Amino acid sequence: MKTLSTMLRLSAGTLLVTLAGCEPAGTCSGDWCGTVVVSAAAEADVLLPPASRQDVGIAIGDLLFLKLADVGPDLRTVGNAAFVPQLAESWEFTDPLTLVLTLRSDARWHDGTPVTASDVTFTFDVYRDTLMAARERQRLDRIVSMAARDDRTVVVRYSRAYAEQFFDAVYHMRIIPRHVLDSVPRDRLAGHAFGRQPIGNGPFRFVQWRTGESIELEADSTFFLGRPGLRRIVWRFSADMNTALTQLLADEADVINFLGGPDNVRRVEEADHLSVREYPSSVYFYVAFNFRDPSDPSRPHPLFADREVRRAVTLAVDRPTVLQAVLGGRGYVPPGPMSPALWIWDDERPRVPFDSAEARRILARRGWMDSDGDGTLDRGGEPLAFELLVTTSSAPRRQAAQIIQEQLRRIGISVRITELEFNTFLSQAANRQFDAVFGAYGGEISPASVGEVWSTAARETFNYGQYSNPTVDRLIRNAMNATDVQSAEGLWDQAITAIVEDAPAIWMFTPTTAAGVHRRFDGVSLRPDQWAATLWSWRVPPDRYHERDRFAR
Amino acid sequence: MARFVAVRIAQAAAIVFLVATLTFVLIHLAPGSPFMAGGEGLVVPPEIVEQQERNFGLDQPLPVQYLRYLSNVVRGDFGYSFAAHRPVREAFLERVPNTLLLAGAALIVMFLVGTLVGALQSARPASKTDDVLSLVTLGLYSTPVFWLGLMLLLVFGESLQWFPVGGTHDAVVYPYLTALGKVGNRLHHLVLPAVALGLVGAAVTARYQRAAMLEVIRQDFMRTAKAKGLTERIVLFRHALRNALLPTVTLFGLAFPVLLSGAVLVESVFAWPGLGRLAVDAVHQRDYAVVTGAAIVTAVMVVLGSLLADLLYRVVDPRTREAA
Repeated sequence: MKTLSTMLRLSAGTLLVTLAGCEPAGTCSGDWCGTVVVSAAAEADVLLPPASRQDVGIAIGDLLFLKLADVGPDLRTVGNAAFVPQLAESWEFTDPLTLVLTLRSDARWHDGTPVTASDVTFTFDVYRDTLMAARERQRLDRIVSMAARDDRTVVVRYSRAYAEQFFDAVYHMRIIPRHVLDSVPRDRLAGHAFGRQPIGNGPFRFVQWRTGESIELEADSTFFLGRPGLRRIVWRFSADMNTALTQLLADEADVINFLGGPDNVRRVEEADHLSVREYPSSVYFYVAFNFRDPSDPSRPHPLFADREVRRAVTLAVDRPTVLQAVLGGRGYVPPGPMSPALWIWDDERPRVPFDSAEARRILARRGWMDSDGDGTLDRGGEPLAFELLVTTSSAPRRQAAQIIQEQLRRIGISVRITELEFNTFLSQAANRQFDAVFGAYGGEISPASVGEVWSTAARETFNYGQYSNPTVDRLIRNAMNATDVQSAEGLWDQAITAIVEDAPAIWMFTPTTAAGVHRRFDGVSLRPDQWAATLWSWRVPPDRYHERDRFAR
Repeated sequence: MARFVAVRIAQAAAIVFLVATLTFVLIHLAPGSPFMAGGEGLVVPPEIVEQQERNFGLDQPLPVQYLRYLSNVVRGDFGYSFAAHRPVREAFLERVPNTLLLAGAALIVMFLVGTLVGALQSARPASKTDDVLSLVTLGLYSTPVFWLGLMLLLVFGESLQWFPVGGTHDAVVYPYLTALGKVGNRLHHLVLPAVALGLVGAAVTARYQRAAMLEVIRQDFMRTAKAKGLTERIVLFRHALRNALLPTVTLFGLAFPVLLSGAVLVESVFAWPGLGRLAVDAVHQRDYAVVTGAAIVTAVMVVLGSLLADLLYRVVDPRTREAA
């Protein structure tokens, strides 16, 4: 069998070389000749950043379009000292409400046109246009205007001063070309041909999109921030993780940025040509309690309106065990509503411990006893039972829900798990039709994301459990408005402490993302907020070239 | 003949209308909005969801949306894909040829392998070869097509690496291949998905073919052929197989819908960019226009396939024309 296999592979290889007519080796020298093949479990939606909503489209957009400036390695979003220039080379606050940005003189679109302040103001208008419905639109709410003083100078005016003023102006928008898109009506912009054949300003230029199969980018060797370390990037699209992973294991791809469960990680670890690279996730998972009765929202929830019951349930869940069982220990139990991608993350911050004895005592004090001996606590004839809503699309959440169910059963709490398809799950959560919901939130590096779920204002959006505490609201507001880093840090600390004391949710885990990467690459780094943004600095040393590194235009 | 075709086309139109209506109603009844979800942990603010719904007219009452949708479909306009930001027709024009290529290749596998295996079994009925092949065909007949696809992928793609594991061609080397190389590269990629999709059907064909062959072998003209001193191979393939192929032709009409539904699974397993995979992705994303459009196009392909099979049968079997 082995001989047959070898013969077939050799003959296939010979056939390929005979038929190929590929570029002879040696036409590219140096360590920027590599090709990276990214295997993705879904296809990009559109390559126009204000319209793109899928992970893959956003990741590719990060290589085609630059921001004005980027956060530094510590992902700090407050102030402006730690930011790294991209299209803007310098900046200055002329007063607390006015920021002046100076653009690089050598920044070019891939068609050769210079990047100007007019592109920036046009991009701002597009992101703010309600017809575009850009995800980032709300992040730009406190910017009153962006105006071009001249070709290289942009003046940003704010409605008030706050800690993340600079971050909001430079981070959320990927600058798009006015000279190409200005004449396109806004209601047709997302569907314009540009979104499938973009002209960018980033380290890679668009080459080709083969629908359902792949997108190819090639390096812009004259890129103004330095020559990219790779010559070519090919994104291959599969319908699911299984096929995407098989491509990686069969050496037909080089990278998967998110491997998923421990089984997939183990398979990659066992492959000689691959390595597992870990990086923090920007997502945290939680079980939120509903404060209102789902059958009559005008009434408090019969169980979870009581803070002591919420605390008892939280104490009864052994989160390190859940983390170990579900993610193989790759991740953290978060101290509150945050992921390690937030600069306010602190490893030393105390966590709510696992203490089932204390949970029992609290429940007994609140009158919950097993009076009929059926193993479930009851009070006034009502059992201590609730429904936990979970989505079928998330394996970690489904597994964790089973473990939570068993852990709570041991102290006499009955949990009924309801699994729903993702859109149905979101719809039911948004309609507050649950006792407890297994949610996830992330994609953010700003602590402002805490207020997007755990403030009173968020009851209309992602605060599915209807949690509300005016003290927390005030602390969040003050933290967001603080103008110096230390004040902001202290206020965030107080806000997180107050939220955790209220126990509106169990902060279950935040995973460490595991990526599978071919071993021939040097300089591999992956960012939690935009994993692909640093791809242009990866390299393949010439002595490690793979066959696919030798094919190039 | 013309009347027969006209009646069948009228029936086909009614079926397509029903499919279009049912799909529209079902996908719109499903809870959730197409614009709610991003990825794990990435949820979209409600005001953005509402704005998107207004942009695409989803804030209108359902009957209004339905009438607009029907009038567009009649004019050949399947609408706009929310997820891909492009007209659905454009996506279909790229995807349908891939699905037809895969289904066509699978059809060849199905009939070629099935007919040969059936003929081989009937040449030595109740022999060991017949028993083993019966067992194999029965096993394949009972095998879910996606499982077979996964196994082929793992064994011949990942472990042995004899065949590529996905796509219609190698995205890295393809642009640099000669014309002949490109054809070879595409064929190499076609083998596993076509075999996965066609093999289960081949098992069905083999069982039909075996039964038909055994029926024909008992006929008087077969005895005559043998008495003339013809070799067994000529008797079997020229006389018996030709006559026994007639019932197999009826399978063509049945096979096409089966192949198209199987293609949905095989395309997902092998990352084959066809209509089936597009439809599966669209269902997950609540991409209404793509889901309803895919259902209509598939229904049209199925009824056309069935019509073609009926016409083919009338061509090869004169008795059906006389009966009509």
